[in-house]
Amino acid sequence: MRWCLALLVCCFLAAVNALSSSGSRLLAVLEDTEQKSVYSTLWADLEARGYDVSIESPKSEQLSLFKHGERAYDHLLILPPKSKGLGPSLTPKHILDFMNKDGNILLALSGKSPTSSAVSSLLLELDIHLANDRSAVVVDHFNYDTLSAAEKHDVLVLQRPGPLRPDVKAFFDGEGVLALPRVAPQTLGSDSTLLAPVLKAPATAYSYNPKEEMPAADDILATGSQLNIVSAMQARNSARFTVLGSVEALEDKWFSASVKTPSGEKTTTVNREFAKQLTGWAFKETGVLKVNKVEHHLATEGAELNPSIYRIKNETVYNIEVSEYVFDKWVPFEVPGEDELQLEFTMLSPFHRLNLEPTSRTETGTVFSTKFITPDQHGIFSFRVNYKRPFFTNIEEKHEVTVRHFAHDEYPRSWAISGGWVWIAGLWSVIGGFLAFVVVWLYSAPVADKVKKTQ
Amino acid sequence: MHLWQATVPFCLLAAAALPGAAASAWGFTDATVAVQHKGAGVNGGFKEQLTASKPLSKPVSIIDADTLRVTLTAQEGSSPKRPHQAFLLLKDAHTGLDISYPFTVKENGKSRVELTKKDLPIQFLSLPEPVDARVVIGGLGTSDAYDSSVFQLSIDRNPELAVPTVETDRYGKKPEIHHIFKNSPSNPPIVITLAFVAMVGAAIPVLAGLWLLLGANVSHLPTAFKSAPLPHAVFLGSLVAFEGIFFLYYTSWNLFQILPAVAIVGAVAFISGSRALGEVQGRRLAGLR
Repeated sequence: MRWCLALLVCCFLAAVNALSSSGSRLLAVLEDTEQKSVYSTLWADLEARGYDVSIESPKSEQLSLFKHGERAYDHLLILPPKSKGLGPSLTPKHILDFMNKDGNILLALSGKSPTSSAVSSLLLELDIHLANDRSAVVVDHFNYDTLSAAEKHDVLVLQRPGPLRPDVKAFFDGEGVLALPRVAPQTLGSDSTLLAPVLKAPATAYSYNPKEEMPAADDILATGSQLNIVSAMQARNSARFTVLGSVEALEDKWFSASVKTPSGEKTTTVNREFAKQLTGWAFKETGVLKVNKVEHHLATEGAELNPSIYRIKNETVYNIEVSEYVFDKWVPFEVPGEDELQLEFTMLSPFHRLNLEPTSRTETGTVFSTKFITPDQHGIFSFRVNYKRPFFTNIEEKHEVTVRHFAHDEYPRSWAISGGWVWIAGLWSVIGGFLAFVVVWLYSAPVADKVKKTQ
Repeated sequence: MHLWQATVPFCLLAAAALPGAAASAWGFTDATVAVQHKGAGVNGGFKEQLTASKPLSKPVSIIDADTLRVTLTAQEGSSPKRPHQAFLLLKDAHTGLDISYPFTVKENGKSRVELTKKDLPIQFLSLPEPVDARVVIGGLGTSDAYDSSVFQLSIDRNPELAVPTVETDRYGKKPEIHHIFKNSPSNPPIVITLAFVAMVGAAIPVLAGLWLLLGANVSHLPTAFKSAPLPHAVFLGSLVAFEGIFFLYYTSWNLFQILPAVAIVGAVAFISGSRALGEVQGRRLAGLR
């Protein structure tokens, strides 16, 4: 009995130790399972962070992303296959279905061998494009590792990326350099708001097919920062799809390799740290937002909380508490640099769009609030917080309220309106005149000379 | 002469930067930049020699349908050779935009690139400052690659034409909106209101004066109160009470509060009024009215 309880507690602790905010079942798809020792540090790091890693070959018979119509895994890590596709259980449709059911995917590519057509068509669905012949490699004659790629210049040595824009949080920054051997570059479609580059190639980089001796000028697909080494796509359901151009960067060999650029010193790579940042983001250990509480009320003392009805021109207070998940715990969310968390008060279109200011913080959340006057238009309004930003999961809060007109006894009284005084004076002078008339009519004696005349 | 000028400083620079490295480095010679105006002859337009060591002092400008042409001979060390990478790289320091145009390179290293405004991405067309035009030449192996600014490219535009802009939808904060309220109802100036109130108020004295002029009086009051004191007092009192009830209705009472009061006062007024008016009739019959 006692050991049973101990086991239960152990299980509970294991569950608590599972770090990702969205489950710990991770499927790694590796064509040649013999190869798994090449990535042993990666597996060990993932397991230490609480993942339940199962490594399967795409050819495996019993491999399936779904069981009884539900996801069988929470996350999927696909290492590049050498063969043409990923097998019947990992078709692009299955993988997209997996994303539609909130599964996260990290897809690694390699410039060593041509990318399989199944992977290429999967990426096309997401508006991520590979080179036409699917076998391009990025080279840069200025930022390569002189120790391991002195001849071919295809091991890029790059700084970790800073923030994408001043108003976007940097999830992948830090000191140190990354070694990225044989990168298969991606270009991103410009129309999608869901795509974001994580790591771009330097301006002097370009891609070419290593099978051809010289790149022809017409064959160059994109150059410089148009080439992405790591790119990310976050779907509307916040499921994440990350593409890493160089699978070799995850190998044990490169986790702590010594590299040297043509103009730099010999340094050790920080690939291991970057792999933690990248897998952490891809599998929702970072950049996950949660709304704990939404409160709105009149700006008066002791007002009712979250009423369903307001009047026009009411002064109203709105509070929202937001938490961010960072690796293993919820912490108070801080809005990045130049960004703002915004509240919209909408009826079809926003009547107010206001920046929410942080007012207080609890142990796990920051309370953002604002105060405003409801518009002079009655109808069905809603408080909306629609916070969609690159690398953060989406927040979409919508709370509907009625905004009514003034009730008959809420208008100012007539004597308070100075323009009405003339009419009020007229009314009371008529009343006074009437009373005077009654008195005169009742008690007036006929005028004396008139009486004389009649006599 | 030109070749000598171009390569010596660069080699010195490379040698100083990387002591002990492989001596050879990529570079170029015989470089020119030319701008061909549309419709001008073969030799029309601007043409200038480029050196590998120093950028041109003045920016090169292209406008409308001009063609920018850069030609050069790439070389490794001092022998012409076809490089793996030969790009004209346009880079904007402020926005961080960059784009490369590959040279068409022959086997003997002779390279040439042509560029018109049509080839430029739309984002480059609205930049206020000239962009940095760099030549990037590099190859596989141990030779050092070359990347240096050779001239400034000013992308001018006809001021009469609209600036092309590109609208890309990205997630980010949006401009704030503050609802604009309708104007609250306003009152006329208080002086005018008070003047009209005074005019209305003056109606009562004017009326009283007119009545007095026509001989109105209350001489029968003692007679009336002597013959029927109670009905007269109660009748007048009930009329005043009516107005009092209406005043309360105006300020605070509701309909259900005034209805019983009106019923009571109305009954009193009816009974006392018929007595009081009977007394008035008596005075008329007596010939006093």
